[in-house]
Amino acid sequence: MALLASTKTNRPTAETLWIGIGIVVAYGVVPLAGSDYLLDAVLTPFLVLALAAVGLNVLTGYAGQVSLGSAAFLAVGAYAAYNLHLRVPGLPLLVDVVLAGGIAAAIGIVFGLPSLRLRGFYLAVSTLAAQFFVQWALTKFGWFSNDNPSGVIDAPVLRIGSVSFATAAERYVFSLTIVVVLTLLTLRLLRSQSGRNFIAVRDHEIAAKVIGVPLLRTKLLAFGISSFLIGVAGVLWAFAYLRTVEPAGFNLDRSFQILFIIIIGGLASLRGSFIGAAFIVVFPLLLSRIGAAVLGRVFDSGVLEMSQHIVIGALIIVFLIAEPRGLIALWDRAWSALRPARRPAIPT
Amino acid sequence: MSGIATGAGVLRLEEEPPDEQIHGSTRERDNATERRTERAAQTLANPALGLAKISLTFGGVAALRDVDLEVAQGEIRAVIGPNGAGKSSLLNIVSGLYRPTRGQVQFGEHSFDQVPTARLAAHGVARTFQNLALFKGLSVLDNVQMGLAHRMRAGFLRQIMGAPLARRIEEENRTAAKEVIGFLHLDDVHDRFAGTLPYGVQKRVELARALVARPKLLLLDEPFAGVTFAEKQELSQHVRNARDSLGATIVLIEHDIGVVMGLSDRVAVLDYGRKIADGTPDQVRADPAVIDAYLGVAHEDATELAV
Ligand SMILES: Nc1ncnc2c1ncn2[C@@H]1O[C@H](COP(=O)(O)OP(=O)(O)OP(=O)(O)O)[C@@H](O)[C@H]1O
Ligand SMILES: [Mg+2]
Repeated sequence: MALLASTKTNRPTAETLWIGIGIVVAYGVVPLAGSDYLLDAVLTPFLVLALAAVGLNVLTGYAGQVSLGSAAFLAVGAYAAYNLHLRVPGLPLLVDVVLAGGIAAAIGIVFGLPSLRLRGFYLAVSTLAAQFFVQWALTKFGWFSNDNPSGVIDAPVLRIGSVSFATAAERYVFSLTIVVVLTLLTLRLLRSQSGRNFIAVRDHEIAAKVIGVPLLRTKLLAFGISSFLIGVAGVLWAFAYLRTVEPAGFNLDRSFQILFIIIIGGLASLRGSFIGAAFIVVFPLLLSRIGAAVLGRVFDSGVLEMSQHIVIGALIIVFLIAEPRGLIALWDRAWSALRPARRPAIPT
Repeated sequence: MSGIATGAGVLRLEEEPPDEQIHGSTRERDNATERRTERAAQTLANPALGLAKISLTFGGVAALRDVDLEVAQGEIRAVIGPNGAGKSSLLNIVSGLYRPTRGQVQFGEHSFDQVPTARLAAHGVARTFQNLALFKGLSVLDNVQMGLAHRMRAGFLRQIMGAPLARRIEEENRTAAKEVIGFLHLDDVHDRFAGTLPYGVQKRVELARALVARPKLLLLDEPFAGVTFAEKQELSQHVRNARDSLGATIVLIEHDIGVVMGLSDRVAVLDYGRKIADGTPDQVRADPAVIDAYLGVAHEDATELAV
């Protein structure tokens, strides 16, 4: 995460150190020391959800276009990669992944077209069309799931050349690499003129238009990039995390989950996407441990789910009112509060 | 222009002390008068902007009626008028945000029923807004650089990959933005988020964003409204510089007749959507129609506006 702030601060040595530590821990320590449970049930879903949140953040946080269709693009990515792998056997897996993202991007652009006319609530409602249409199409047409009666697909083993990523640790490393590379590319995009155009369209569409920002192209680019990232996250969700998925897994709840990640983590913040994803993944696990410890048997899965919904709902409201910039704003404030205290300690 | 007429105008204007300071010395004013006459002569030859019989109605309300306006190359052209006179509507028509019910807009040799807003920058036109229209979530430097967004010819993939073309344009734009930031004394705040700055500074950032593209035609909608007296003086100097150093033709909307007197070459007066007077500041100031319709309420409006 220090990686993402690196070019902004002027302490390259400390930043480089943090990046180095991050790489060593993420690639060296975690896959070796982490249990399968940690890798499979915590870290891999965290990475995949973080990537989806980065995708939604590009669209909603940066470009200001609200979307409730994220799960549809996860599904498109997953099913597109599955079919590419199944029907075009010669294709290397990485090409499948990129093409699946591209197909999600194309569909995202189509559903982004109304954004030229609609905004806010109305746009959100129109993105719901993507949500319902995709889920309906995947259930209705057996072709997508190779004629599985309930639309379920079994993902093949991830393989690049002769290297296969089958174990929990290997699938984690595969996800980590894709998520890091795509996040860095997204960061570069956001720092470029296109990224500034996103924010300009979000903050003052008329001024942006007068200046000569191409509105339609900018919005469709945001939809395309966003759906691409979410589509690739969908591939990872199906191939690296669950390995067996069905259309019902990509329902509206999933779309809301990704929206909640960026609201809780922080809109228009890539770091926020990661913090929010970490929160969404870890929080239910913590809640069930704490609940079980405090209440014992009474705290069954029904109670867990209910209390989870209540707490997350309450948090969303609290964040929207008290800190619209999310956890990342709290993090940054805590960080800058720590720093002045530290500085005098460094001999000059 | 006779010295006596100027004198009479000054006498009348003396009622508003701030203006005298904005105008600068009398000698400056004489020079300005000479320039004015020269520019007025160019008007018909090659206008930078021409409006012909512009009318605009909203539902049943007529915001503009048969307004003609000609702006000569390199002149500072003020459009003044009380609240609701139709000044902003006029700029919105020139920038294509409104489509006039009737009439035509002309830039150089191009004539439009509705100006294509998306091509405005390409035509060398930039504007500011009456209410701040900055990008709150971008730094001051990025806001100013946004004024050159239309120059980025490299696609997003080349921008991500840092292709030579994208890097070169980015570099050029950044340099130009920094230059204008220096020009408008915004260096100290260049890395601040625009939304966090005081109102007067934001107005200056918006001017910088409009200036960075070196527009041929600059449209300013009440750039001095709601800023402190010192800021007003500084801003009006920048407006003058934009013409003198950058060679821009300027249309300046103002609420208050006094502010534009020393700054503009010619003044058009709108009232209830009609143009009731047009000429040099001295002519306009002496015009009975203007005195009746407008000057009588100027003071009230000025205080209203300061709120
Ligand atoms: N978008 C709009 N919809 C409806 N009426 C409008 C619109 N824009 C302007 N008007 C009306 O047109 C008339 C002229 O408004 P305009 O904003 O052009 O005046 P103005 O001279 O700029 O006034 P001010 O000094 O208050 O800025 C007003 O009666 C206003 O209510
Ligand atoms: Mg106005």
